[in-house]
Order: sequence, then structure tokens, then C-alpha cells
Amino acid sequence: MIAHFDVDAFYAGVAVRDDPSLRGKPVAIAGSGRRAVVLTASYEARPFGVRSAIPLYRALQACPHLVVVPPNMQAYRNASREIFAVLARRGHPVESLSLDEAFVDFGECALGEAIELAKAMRAEIYAATQLTVSAGVASGKMVAKILSDACKPNGLKGLAPGDEAAFLAPLPVGCLWGVGPKTQARLRLCGIETIGDVAKLGDAELRVAFGSWGAEVRDLARGIDRRDVRPERETKSISTEETFEYDVREVGVLVDLLRVQAKEIAAKLAREGLSARSIGIKLKRADFSTLVRQTNLTEPTADPARIFRAAMVCLRRAGVRGVPVRLLGTRAAALAARGSEQLPLL
Amino acid sequence: MKFTCNTKDIATAVGAASKIVNAHTTVPILSNVLLSTEDGRIVVRATDLELTLEHAFTAEIAEPGSVTIPAKLFGSYLANLPAGTLELTGTPTRAGVKCERSNYDFHALPADEYPPLPSASHGQKFNLSARRFRDGVNATIFAASGEEARGAVLMGTLLEVEGDSLTMVATDGYRLAKWQTTLENGISGSERYIVPSRALAEAARNLGSAETISISALGAQNNQLMLSAGSTSIVVRLVDGQYPNYGQVIPAKFDRSITANTQALAGSLRRAELVAGDRASMVKIAVANQTLIVTASSDVSGSAYEELEVEQTGEDLTIAFNARYLIEILNHVEGERTVLEFLGPLSPAAIRPLQGAEGAQQLYVLMPLRQ
Repeated sequence: MIAHFDVDAFYAGVAVRDDPSLRGKPVAIAGSGRRAVVLTASYEARPFGVRSAIPLYRALQACPHLVVVPPNMQAYRNASREIFAVLARRGHPVESLSLDEAFVDFGECALGEAIELAKAMRAEIYAATQLTVSAGVASGKMVAKILSDACKPNGLKGLAPGDEAAFLAPLPVGCLWGVGPKTQARLRLCGIETIGDVAKLGDAELRVAFGSWGAEVRDLARGIDRRDVRPERETKSISTEETFEYDVREVGVLVDLLRVQAKEIAAKLAREGLSARSIGIKLKRADFSTLVRQTNLTEPTADPARIFRAAMVCLRRAGVRGVPVRLLGTRAAALAARGSEQLPLL
Repeated sequence: MKFTCNTKDIATAVGAASKIVNAHTTVPILSNVLLSTEDGRIVVRATDLELTLEHAFTAEIAEPGSVTIPAKLFGSYLANLPAGTLELTGTPTRAGVKCERSNYDFHALPADEYPPLPSASHGQKFNLSARRFRDGVNATIFAASGEEARGAVLMGTLLEVEGDSLTMVATDGYRLAKWQTTLENGISGSERYIVPSRALAEAARNLGSAETISISALGAQNNQLMLSAGSTSIVVRLVDGQYPNYGQVIPAKFDRSITANTQALAGSLRRAELVAGDRASMVKIAVANQTLIVTASSDVSGSAYEELEVEQTGEDLTIAFNARYLIEILNHVEGERTVLEFLGPLSPAAIRPLQGAEGAQQLYVLMPLRQ
């Protein structure tokens, strides 16, 4: 069974969580520029027609008492990390679609069991982030996503294997994976309105309507969804860098920054359960020339002190005494999942 | 300067010296070899400032002096000469070479700019057979650290001389190699030198075929070590620092052990490592009923199971190791049968030959993996 998790009005949810005075009010997350658009609207704002992607001035016309909150990417990333940590905790494959949306493959199990799992994960996400998540559970990705969209906010819906075709049949064809507004308009001209209409198409009609993609679409319409949950591409390296406001000549400042970056990298590695065998630095001089140095470790590490020591070796090798530096970064590569640990002798 | 010599002699000397030259040096004169006349001999010297190699050969000296010539170029030129004699004339800016009907003129750099050797104030000298020295280097330096970030001390190998006993120790912090022998000529008292492992490898390569090697400290603070045999000598800058107290990490007593055929054990580990994957190459070793079982597995490759008959003393045990470390140690154990001693799954294990090479003692200590 596959579950689709989607945080309810993610950005707005984070904003309300961080400022409880916003609770119950129509909230929109948007930038402040002249051309700002709404990134996310809280459920309280939606009845006014405030939705994501509409221009902010229109949103304010439609809902004059709308509270506009600037985006806080760092807060979203932090929340996202906690959400994915919960999803991955039990070892299921997780495919992330965005910061707040993911598929999780529960493997072969009964619907009831899968629903219990999804329920537990939603509760754990709420406990960790105070954000509500909606989830859909089904035999395939598409139906799982349709279900989670349908039960928002803060809902959970499941569909037993075998019921997919009947469930999908009355839905508009635009709910099908890969069918956007343009295709939908074209299909309407062919008399295809619902997913059920697609399921009934013969091979020839299918080819006319969808081209080479036809067979796959019909399978989807019939509830046959073979697409696997694809875990994220392996993390190849973890890095952080900082551009100085003014060019830096003092080695002491660079050393201090490397120490901070080592801690940051170590924390990132720990969060992802990884350790690194190669540590490097990237340094951009005031003349924009870039220099990278790296050094290998005997045993992989996620220890900030070891990462810092290795970065210092790189800095010494870079030989930047007195050279103005505009950017400095640290990078951890040759990553591996932290498994068995080589015990030290010394 | 001006001398005449055999082309083969000078080609050998410059060839050996030019291997020391750092191809990426930013100091031009360090790309050169220095040739100086000395008591009817020519001494060829190359250095990268940490390591200096000198190789001498006899020549007919017409005019004493010295010259520096680009090492790689001159070495390649000499390597392509036929057997015969060669006449070299050196000035601060050029080296002219005449050989049969050929005539070459190499750009030179002033010899007085060449880095000098430390003062010739020697410390105590000790001697050992070159073959024994080579065995010791071979048995230890592989265990030294290759990680710059852990510092130069662990990248070096400790030479500990006490009376007529020489101990070489190398460790990277996870495993330790110790090799001990009795010297032909020892010293009074004791000395400890941390030698860059690369220098020991160079010494074993360049001096290993001689009869006897003499080793002594050099320089006012005894901060260099000179290793010499016959007409070749290597001077290396010692690592400044405190070597870890290695005696502390070698357990005095073990409570169980196995004795296995070295090759058979190494063979099963090598095969098992293939499926262990890159996640620390973990192999598990289980000992029970005079049998050793090696297992390994990975999601990618599958699983491995190997059984080996061993002599077991003490209780049964299951312990995990990084296969790479254990194989590397077994590759260096000089003996048909190897003894592995244990204290428990999270304690250091000792590995040594049941009956080692004559005149030397080998001991390895390896930490296990926590599963």
C-alpha cells in the first residue's frame, strides 16, 4: 500500500503555529513586492477566493482583512526536515514531491494496517511540528494523492484494493495524472469528461486522444498504477557556504567561520544519518577566482571537531594568508549511511 | 667543476635522486639535483626539504666544485645514454655534458643556493641488516595514518631504540603495527624518533639491497635522521611531537584465542569482503567448536558464509571487523599460521604469527566494529 502525505496549507500552517494570534484569521503568505503573489492561503482565507498563485493585490481586494505574512524559508525547511524524519523513521521508502508532500511505500499490507500506520505518522508529525497533515492510502500513487486532496484539511482516507476503478470513474478527467487543463479541454471536445470515460476507450480512440501515452493513461483510469515510490536520489554531498558582506583578510575570521560550518555540516549529517569520508572547502577570492581543497579521512565521520580539523588542513593548504576572501564554504562528500562504527584504539 | 665518469654510474645516481624531487615544487632550485665533488667521488643530492637523498659514485675529478641541474630532464637524458664515459663541466649557470660524439648544454642554477644539509653533528649510531630493516618497514608503515587532519605524528612511524633493541610502531588510531628486533650495534640508553613513513619506504627501496644500514640522528637538536648504506644516504626531518603511548593500548592479557592458517583465513576474508559492500566492509567472525565462521552481507551483493577449521582456546566469540583492516594485517603476517587473541566483541584483538620470522617479533592490534 502507498500513502500520500500533504501538509495542510503548509506555509500558512507554519506561520499560525509560530504566531498563535493568527489562529482563526484569514492568512496569506506572500512577498512584499509590487508583483507579489500569494504563496499559500490559510483555510480561513480560501472562502474569499484567496488561493495560491493569485496576485496579492487581488487577494487583498477580495479579502480586505487578510493578514499577509512574509515567507520564512528557514522555518519551512526546518519543519520539512522534521516531517521527513517522521516519514522515514520506520524504514519505508519515501519519495518527496516538495517540502511538504511525499509518498511513502508501506509495502505489502492490508488497508487497515496501512491506515493505522498513516494515522500514527500524522500524529507523530503533529507532535513534532504542530502541523496538520492529510493523507490518502491506496494501492497506487495516483489514487492515494486524490484521496489526500479530497480529505483536506486534517483528514485521512483509504481505498481498498480493487475499488479503484469504481472510485475513479465519476471523477473529472483532470484528476488523472498528467492531464492538465489544456488536455482536459481537448478531451472534452472528444466527449471525454470523466476518468470512467477514459477507462472505456478502445485502443484506436485511445491513440487519437492520448498518443503513445494512451495505454498507460487507460491503466491509470482503470486503477492500475504500477509506478513505484522512488526514494530520493542519494545525497552525494552536503555543503554550506557564506559570502561575506565585506572581503575578509583575517585568517582568524575564516577559522571561526569554518568552526561554525563544521557544526552545521555535522548537524546535517546527523539528521540524515550519514557520515562523510571526505571534507573540503571552497574559497572565492575578492577577484572571484575560486579555489577548492579537500582531504580524505581514514574513517567516515559526523563529528564537528573532526570535520573542523579536516577543513583546517584544507585552509592551510589553500594558503590564503593576507588574500582578501569573499566567500568560504565547507563541503562533506563520500557520504555513507552510518552503520557499524569502527571503534578507536587511541 | 669538471669530472669524467661512467654513464651507468651517474644515470643510477641521478635516477634515484630525481625520484625524491617534488614535481610540483614552486621553488625552482628544488627541481634540480646537486652534483658535488668529494674525495674522488661525485655526490648527487636531491631534496624536497623534508627528505634528502644522497647517492655517490666514483669519478675522475679534474676540477672540484658543484653544479645543479634540472632533475627530471637530466635523469631522462642519462637514462637514454649508451654505456660509456661522460665528461661533465659545471658552472653556476650551465652544465656541459660530452659523451662520445654528443654535446649537451643544460641550464643550471647556482649551487650555493641549494639547501644545505644540517650540521654533521651526529647522535648515536645503530646498525642493522638491510634485509631486517626492510622487513620492519614493510611490517609496520602500512598501518600509519594517511589522514593529514589527524596530524603528522600518526602519519609517521615510531623508531624506538633501547640498548640493542629496535621497535618500530605505526598506528592510524584504529589499528597498530609493532615490530621488534635486536640490533647488531645498539646504543647506550634509549632514543625515540618519529619518522615520516614515506622516508622509511624510500630508505627501504634505496638502501634495502645493501648489507647493513646505519641510522643516526643528525642536527643540533637531533631533529633529522640519517639512514645510510654504502654510497647512499637518506636524511629526513623528524616529526616533532609526542607519539601516543602505544603500550597502553596493547592489552597485557587475552582470555581466548584462535590459531588459523594465515593464507586460508586471508582468503576467506578477501572473498567475504567482496559482498560486504562499501559500508565499512564489515565481516563477522564467529568462533565455536574449533571452527571459525566468516559471514558478510549487503543489500546490493548478497551474503557470504565461510567456514574454517581453527585451534580454539577459551570461550566462543562473535566479533565484527572492517575486513580491509584485517586482510591488510594478515597480508603482512610473516608466518604460516596466525594467532588471533581476543577479550570480547568490543575490545582490541591481537594478531601475530604463531612462529614469526627469525630475529624479529610482529604484533598487530585491531579494534573491532561496533555493529
